[in-house]
Amino acid sequence: MRRRELLAGVGALGALGVGGAVAFTDLSLTDRGGVEGVEPVEIQRFEARGSPQGTEMVPEPGRVTFVEMFATWCGICQRNMPELVEAAEAVDDDVQFLSVTNEPVGQTVQPADVVEWFESRGGNWHLAVDDELELSRRVDATGVPTHLVFDAENRITWEKTGFTESDTIVERVQSA
Amino acid sequence: MHRRAFLKTGAAAGLSVSVTGCLDVGPLSSSPGATDDVVLEKPERYGDLRSARDEGALEYPIHADPLPEATVPAPLHDRELTTTEFVGDRHVLMTFIFTRCPNACQLLTNALRHVQDESVGDGFADDVAFMPVTFDPEHDTADKLRAHGERHGVIREPGHWYYLRPDGPERADEVVNGQFGIGFEHLSPEEREERELGENMFFQHISAILLANKDGYVERLYTGQEASPVTLVDGVETLRERW
Repeated sequence: MRRRELLAGVGALGALGVGGAVAFTDLSLTDRGGVEGVEPVEIQRFEARGSPQGTEMVPEPGRVTFVEMFATWCGICQRNMPELVEAAEAVDDDVQFLSVTNEPVGQTVQPADVVEWFESRGGNWHLAVDDELELSRRVDATGVPTHLVFDAENRITWEKTGFTESDTIVERVQSA
Repeated sequence: MHRRAFLKTGAAAGLSVSVTGCLDVGPLSSSPGATDDVVLEKPERYGDLRSARDEGALEYPIHADPLPEATVPAPLHDRELTTTEFVGDRHVLMTFIFTRCPNACQLLTNALRHVQDESVGDGFADDVAFMPVTFDPEHDTADKLRAHGERHGVIREPGHWYYLRPDGPERADEVVNGQFGIGFEHLSPEEREERELGENMFFQHISAILLANKDGYVERLYTGQEASPVTLVDGVETLRERW
C-alpha cells in the first residue's frame, strides 16, 4: 500500500464547490445531458496503482467513458471490485475507465484510506473523488455503486445501480 | 427568529457563499414556504401531502409541521437527548436506520455525513445537530453504533453527531413508528424470503431524512431518491442562507 498525500487538489475542490453551486442552478436534477450530453466536470485523481495524480474531465468528450460511483463503506462496492478488475482488463485502452468515490474525503476518511481500499482489491485504473458531488449532480447519481457508460458525445447510454457483472460492463462499453 | 431577506434566485444563492451577511435584497414577507415557520419552498404536491396529513393518512411530519418530541438515550454521549432540545440553537437532521442494513440506511448515513463534512469545513458545525435513530436497539449497542460511525468516517470532535438508541424494541416502535411516523417493520426469515428481500434485510422501513429548522419546524422530510447527499446538502445550504 502506498500512502501518499492528496495534493493541492483538496483546496481547489473546496473552491470548485462555490462555482458548482452556481452552475447547478442551470441544470435541473433530472436533466442528465439529454441530446447535448453531460457537461464534463474536472475531477481530482488520487495517486494509486494505475492512477497518476492529476485531474481529468469526466466524461471526456470524444471517448467512451465508464464510471463507477462508489464509497469505501459500501459492501456491494467491495463485492463488485473483482468484476471491475475483469472489465478494466477487457475494455479497449482508449476507453476512459474510472472509479469515483462520492464520499467526503479529507476529514476522517483520508485519501490514503481510499487508495488502500482500491489497491487491496485489485484496482489498477483511474481513481478519483467527487466529494463536492459535482459529478453526482450532473448524472443524478444517488446510490452506490452506480455504473454509468457515456458515449463519445457524453450522453449516458447505460446506467445501473447495484452489483454489476463484468460481462455486462464490457458489453455496454462496447455498444456505446 | 432572525431571518435574512431572501435572495431573488437560486443562482444568486450559490454566490452568497462568498458574500455572506450583506444581502438585504427582496421583501421579507415573500417566504416561499407554506407558513412563516419555514423558509424552504413548499415541496411538490404539498397540497396533497397536507390533505393526507390532515386526514391521518400520512403519519410522518412534513414541511411546516413541528418537529416531534421524544426523549431517547444517546449512548455515545452518556445521556438522554430530547429531539427538540436544540430549538433556538441548531438546525436538526435526523434519519432512521439499523446498522446491519446492507444499503439504504448506509446511503442515508452517507447523506448526513456529507452535510457534517460541510459543516466542519465551512465553519457551521455549531449550527447543526445530527441524530441518526436506530430502530434495532437490540442489535445496535453503543459499540455497534460507534463502529458504524467509524465505518462512515463520522467526525466525532464537534460532538454534534448523536446516535439515538431507544430503550428496547417497544420503545423503538413507540418513537420511530409512533411519534415520528417513520414506518418500519421487523421481518422474520420467512417474511424476508416471501418478499424476495436479501437475508440481511431484517427490517422493512421508510428511507427518510428529516431536516428541521432552528425554530423546531420541519422544513423537509426527504424520502426515497430525494434522501440523497446532493438534495440534502443543497437543502441545508438554502436553509442556512435564508435563516
